[in-house]
Amino acid sequence: MPLLQVHNVTKDFGGLRANSNISFSMDKGELVGLIGPNGAGKTTLFNCISGLHQITSGRILFQGEDITELKAYEVARRGLARTFQVYTASGDLNVAENVMVGCFMRTRSRARAKSRAEEILAFLKLQEVSDYLVSELPVAAQKRVTMATALGSDPRMLLLDEVAAGLNPNEIEDIMTSIKHIHNELGITVMLIEHVMELVMNISDRVIVLDSGRKIAEGNPGDIAKDPAVIKAYLGERYVEEHAGNLE
Amino acid sequence: METVKNTLDFSDFPRIDLVAAGAVLVFLLIFPLLSHSSFAMATMIQFLMFSLYGMGWNTIGGYGGQVDLGKAQYVGIGAYTTAVMLIRWDIPFWVSMPIGVCFSVAWSFIIGYPLFRLKGHYFAIATIATSLVLKDLFEVWNFVGAARGLEISPIKYRPPDFLRLIFKEDIYYYYILLVFFVVGILYINWFRKSRLGFQLRSIKDNEDVARSLGINVRLAKVKTYAIATGFVSVVGSFHACYIKNIEPEDTMSLSISILIALMAMLGGAGSLWGPIIGAGILIPLKSYLKEWLGATAGLVGIDLVIYALIIMMVSAFEPRGIWGIVEKARRRKRK
Repeated sequence: MPLLQVHNVTKDFGGLRANSNISFSMDKGELVGLIGPNGAGKTTLFNCISGLHQITSGRILFQGEDITELKAYEVARRGLARTFQVYTASGDLNVAENVMVGCFMRTRSRARAKSRAEEILAFLKLQEVSDYLVSELPVAAQKRVTMATALGSDPRMLLLDEVAAGLNPNEIEDIMTSIKHIHNELGITVMLIEHVMELVMNISDRVIVLDSGRKIAEGNPGDIAKDPAVIKAYLGERYVEEHAGNLE
Repeated sequence: METVKNTLDFSDFPRIDLVAAGAVLVFLLIFPLLSHSSFAMATMIQFLMFSLYGMGWNTIGGYGGQVDLGKAQYVGIGAYTTAVMLIRWDIPFWVSMPIGVCFSVAWSFIIGYPLFRLKGHYFAIATIATSLVLKDLFEVWNFVGAARGLEISPIKYRPPDFLRLIFKEDIYYYYILLVFFVVGILYINWFRKSRLGFQLRSIKDNEDVARSLGINVRLAKVKTYAIATGFVSVVGSFHACYIKNIEPEDTMSLSISILIALMAMLGGAGSLWGPIIGAGILIPLKSYLKEWLGATAGLVGIDLVIYALIIMMVSAFEPRGIWGIVEKARRRKRK
C-alpha cells in the first residue's frame, strides 16, 4: 500500500484553478521532487495535502486513511509534517523553543520535549545557535530550523517547501546532506518542492512536474530532464521547436 | 513531579532578576509593618489586584498575542457571584469564589468559540462588545440590584471574618491578596513552560505553522482564554468583599478592561514579570495623579490622557513593553 495517495485533486480559488486533477502516489521511503515554474501550483498542492486548504474535489489518502476532510492539525498528528517557504519568525521563541513546539506534539512533558529538541538540533548541526531568535540567524540556518521544527513532531513523511531557495552553493551542499540524512538515517519519506535543479535532480528518486496547475510529467530525474513537455514548460514553445533536433 | 518542578523552577532567569524579585517580595511582605497611610495601603491592594488581572490577561493577550479588551466582564461575574451569594444566602467567599470561576469559565466558553473565529482588531472589538453587553444586562437585572448595584453591609458580620472575607482593617485583605499574588506568579511560571504555553507562543508567531505542528489553534485559544478568565474572576470575587459596594459601572466598565490590558502591555506582554512591572508603575501613577492633580488642580481625567500617551509610546517604540527593552539590551550585551 502506498504511503500517500493523491487522487484527482482539484483546488479552485474563486475562478482560478490552482490545481487541476492531480494524481500521484508515493511509497514509504521514497524521496520525490516536485518541480515546476512559478505559479505552477506546487505550494498550493502542499497546502492541500497538509490540510491547510480544503480541496475542491478529489481524495487524499495517507497510510490508507482518507485525510481529505481532516484539518491541518489532525493531518500533522497522523505523521505528515511540512515546512514553510516563508518563515515569519516575528515572535519571541528562540531556536530550541521552536523545535520544542514540534516535540510537544508527541509529549506533554517539557523535559522530554527539551531533550528530543536537543537531539534534533544536534542532528541538524544547530546546537550552537539554539538560544538565538530565528530572526537573528542567516537564511541557511533559518531553513534548517524549519526542518528541525517539523522533525520535532516525529513525522513519517515530510513535505519540504523550497528549503534551498536563496542559499549559496556551499549551503545548498549542506542542506542536501541534511535532507539525505533525514531520508536515510531517520527513514522519513520526503517530498520536496525545489527550484534548485542540481539539488532535485541529485537526490530525488522520482520527479513530478507541475505546470499551470496540471501534472505534465513524472519519472526519474534523467528522463524528466529530457522530457519535451517539461522543457516547454520551463523554456517556452519556441525553444522546443527551434531545438527539436537536438533534444533526442 | 515534573509539574511541581516547573512551577518552582525560575532558573532560566538571570540572577539579577531573581534578586530583584526577591527584594520586591520582601518589601511586599513587610510593607504593612512599615508606617504607611491608609491611602498607600489602598494603593498597594490595587497594585496586587491589577497585577493578578494582568497576569491573567497575559496568558491569552501576551503569550498568545490575542488582544483582549473585555476582561472587565469577568471581574463583574466574579464580583456579583460572590456578592449575591453572600447577601442572599450567606455563602462564604471560599465557596462562592470557585463557583464564580465556574460561571466565568462557562461564559468564556460560550463566547470564546465564536470570538476566536475573529482575529486581530476584530477580536479586540468583539471582546469589548461582549463585555459592554453584559454590563448593560446587569444594569437592568433586578436580581443583582440593577444599576444601583449591591452592598455588603459589614454591620451584619463580625470582623475579622475569614470565611466571608469581611475585615475592618485593610491589612487582612492585603495579606490574603499577597498569597493569591504568589500563587498567581507560580501558576504563570508553570504555564509559560507548559505545552499549552508553547502552543500559544507558536500561535502568536504564525497560526499556519502552529496548525502544521499538530496544534488545534482554536481549542488552545479557548482553553487559555478560560485560564485568563479564571484569574480575573477570582480577583473579582475578592473585589466584592474588599470594596463591599459593587455596581456595574465600576466593576465592568470599559476603562477597567483597558487598564488591565494596558498594564500588561506597558510592563511587557508575554513575560512573567511584565504585568507586575506594569501594575507597579501605573497603579501608583493613577492613584496619586487622581489624588493630587484631580483634587487640587481640578484636572479630572488626566489619568486617561496619560494612558493614551502610554499606549501610543508602547506601540510606537517597543511593542513588548518595558521588559522588551530590558531583553533587547541583554541580547545586545551578550553578543
